Amino acid sequence: MSTVKTINRDAESAEVGAGRPRRDTRSALVMIAPAIIGLVAFVIVPFIAAGYLSLFNVRANSSRPPVWFGLEQYHRILTDPTFYRGLLNNFIFAAVVVPVQTLLALGLALLLNQSLRFMSVFRTFFFMPVVFPMALVAVIWKLIFSRDDLGMLNAFLHAISFGHIPPIDWLGSTTTALLSIIILSIWQGVGFQMIIILAGLQGISKSLYEAAQIDTANRWQQFLNITVPGLRNTLIFVVMVTTIFAFRLFDQVYILTQGGPQNATTTVMYQAVTSAFTENNVGRGAAITVVFFVIVLTITVVQRRLLREDREVA
Amino acid sequence: MRTPTRFKAGAVILSAVALTVTACGTGGGDTSGGATADAGSGTGEIKVWGHQGEEGEVAALQAAVAGFNSSQKGVKATLQLIPSADYTKTVSATSPDQLPDVLEYDGPLMASFAYDKKLAPVEGLVSAQTIGNQTDSVKTQNTYQLDKKLYGVSMYDSGLGVYGNKALLDAAGVTYPKGLGDAWTADQFQTALEKLAAKDPDQKVLDVKENYGGEWPTYGFLPIVNSAGALAIKDNKAEGNLNSAPVVKAVQQFAGWRKFVDPNSDDKAFTDGRVALSWVGHWQYNPYNKALGQKLVVLPLPDFGAGTKSGQGSWAWGIGGSSKNGKAAGLFLDYLLNDSNVTAMTTANAAPPGTKTVIATDPLYKPGGPLQLFADGLSKTCGANPPTTACVATPRPVTPAYPVFSQQFSQAFLNIYKGGDAQAELDKAAKAIDQDFTDNNNYTS
Repeated sequence: MSTVKTINRDAESAEVGAGRPRRDTRSALVMIAPAIIGLVAFVIVPFIAAGYLSLFNVRANSSRPPVWFGLEQYHRILTDPTFYRGLLNNFIFAAVVVPVQTLLALGLALLLNQSLRFMSVFRTFFFMPVVFPMALVAVIWKLIFSRDDLGMLNAFLHAISFGHIPPIDWLGSTTTALLSIIILSIWQGVGFQMIIILAGLQGISKSLYEAAQIDTANRWQQFLNITVPGLRNTLIFVVMVTTIFAFRLFDQVYILTQGGPQNATTTVMYQAVTSAFTENNVGRGAAITVVFFVIVLTITVVQRRLLREDREVA
Repeated sequence: MRTPTRFKAGAVILSAVALTVTACGTGGGDTSGGATADAGSGTGEIKVWGHQGEEGEVAALQAAVAGFNSSQKGVKATLQLIPSADYTKTVSATSPDQLPDVLEYDGPLMASFAYDKKLAPVEGLVSAQTIGNQTDSVKTQNTYQLDKKLYGVSMYDSGLGVYGNKALLDAAGVTYPKGLGDAWTADQFQTALEKLAAKDPDQKVLDVKENYGGEWPTYGFLPIVNSAGALAIKDNKAEGNLNSAPVVKAVQQFAGWRKFVDPNSDDKAFTDGRVALSWVGHWQYNPYNKALGQKLVVLPLPDFGAGTKSGQGSWAWGIGGSSKNGKAAGLFLDYLLNDSNVTAMTTANAAPPGTKTVIATDPLYKPGGPLQLFADGLSKTCGANPPTTACVATPRPVTPAYPVFSQQFSQAFLNIYKGGDAQAELDKAAKAIDQDFTDNNNYTS
């Protein structure tokens, strides 16, 4: 919970901060030092290192010095159909997960924002999947998605259709594999967005709703004219974070499908990790992450610009 | 909580940097093969790294180390166990001068470790008697083709076959082979599956351990490639071998059997009697025997044209490439490989012993024993030669490119198994493997 609050406060102070006069420079520097050190150590230095490594043939376990490779790794990656397939999968995943998960989180947050008894119990239930490590969640869902009639999902479909739905090969068929990964990811991730939106909802002043009631606005009008504008910043944050999460898709794929069948679920991250750590080809892994970084950076910049313009209009 | 993309990427790269730094620090760069351990005084302390296997295996290993320490005064061995899931990654990420005097390794990775100077040749350090007592199959797996030297010794080996449920086979009127000599052809195997499926409500009659991950697809299904008469890699080339016409046909045929395969998500398909046949290694003998007793039969894999084949190779022991105490390490390996330690280990894990004296008397593998089939197969190892009908056990490619090979092969195989085009997938894998050879100067320098 405390992280959620900080995040919101950050978002607000960032807005206000731009116009504030400069003062307390020294204490400001001290305060941002931990964040800056972290960024330099874990983002900037590794990024420069990746750029450097991607120009060499570097083997993870080799005692031989790296060999100069120039742009060969990039040439190979950019002419590799598997890489584009991974990128496409990433985009499909993001295109489905970002809207669906955000809407679902909004719906859940609205439901759980009522003052009923035991509400904290329900909130805990919906938040629980977020707390579980993805590795554990994926192993459980492997049993759910199993292709025989022992698979829980197949057994369930079999039972409710009185045996008319035959067992489906969820993870083994090119048509359903990515869908299965998407379903499990939404189930696991929705609680996180829900909690952020819930915090946003509680930040909307009750007096607005009371005023609206006096003006005889119905529930739907209240939602459109009070809740949605009040949540704008929160929703922008949720969409951006979900997009970034969607692009880092790895764990589920690694455990459930290893990118298969026929690359139906391969992702750029999966390819980077297997290149570097299974095939010991660190140079290629580094080059993939550099290309990917550029792509994700572009998307984030574009997204920010679009959303910011939106805000100015409003 | 989850971290955004760039942090994950950062972590990947950061560890890569760490690896490179350590790699550069050791400043190799001279020519092929090549580490040699200092013989040292033959006394003092030695460090031993082993993988943490099953409980029984750990107990046997710990007893062997304790026995060694109390059997003599000159050398004191300290054992460090590392969880098996992380073991290979740990060795890969450790620079040669930080590796212990004695280390265990997973068989097919020997060439990669020898190339990276993480292992030293054992001849001259381990006694001639110990080496002479190694079975031919483990000797092949532990010999590095580039310099023809032996880089390790094995306590045990492995075997692969098809376990059958006699009651179900008989009920479906399926006749099955008596031994290696009359193995099913692939077509006969297919007919057997069809007959069994006709009697089975869900038509799932075969288990190929779909629930296993990691190294299994390479270990379990590479014999199909060899049984089609091809080496996966020949003269540092996969092109024209791994993707040759007979291999494509064999893998395609295997993929066609997927409709008969139980996904086995609970790992009980065979023990519960849901399937009549289970394609797996020696390590399932004890649980299967317990579940089926007299109904259990052990059969060879089907023959895809060049005779039935089986896997071979397992964990083995070598001497660290930068050891300063090679002689003492050799003394430890001599002790570890003695009959009583090998017997204790193979009793614990039911693996085929890697020494001639123990396999000859092992109750499971001796002539007439229930797993004689595996011992027979191992005694006819194909070695590094192209597989023919005259040999059975086939080692996984002994080359430093093995990590790439294994990743590419298992991915291609699973893709084909799930309906992908066999020719296209194998072409792609062969190309990636050959690329790795080219990038690394064929691993000759």
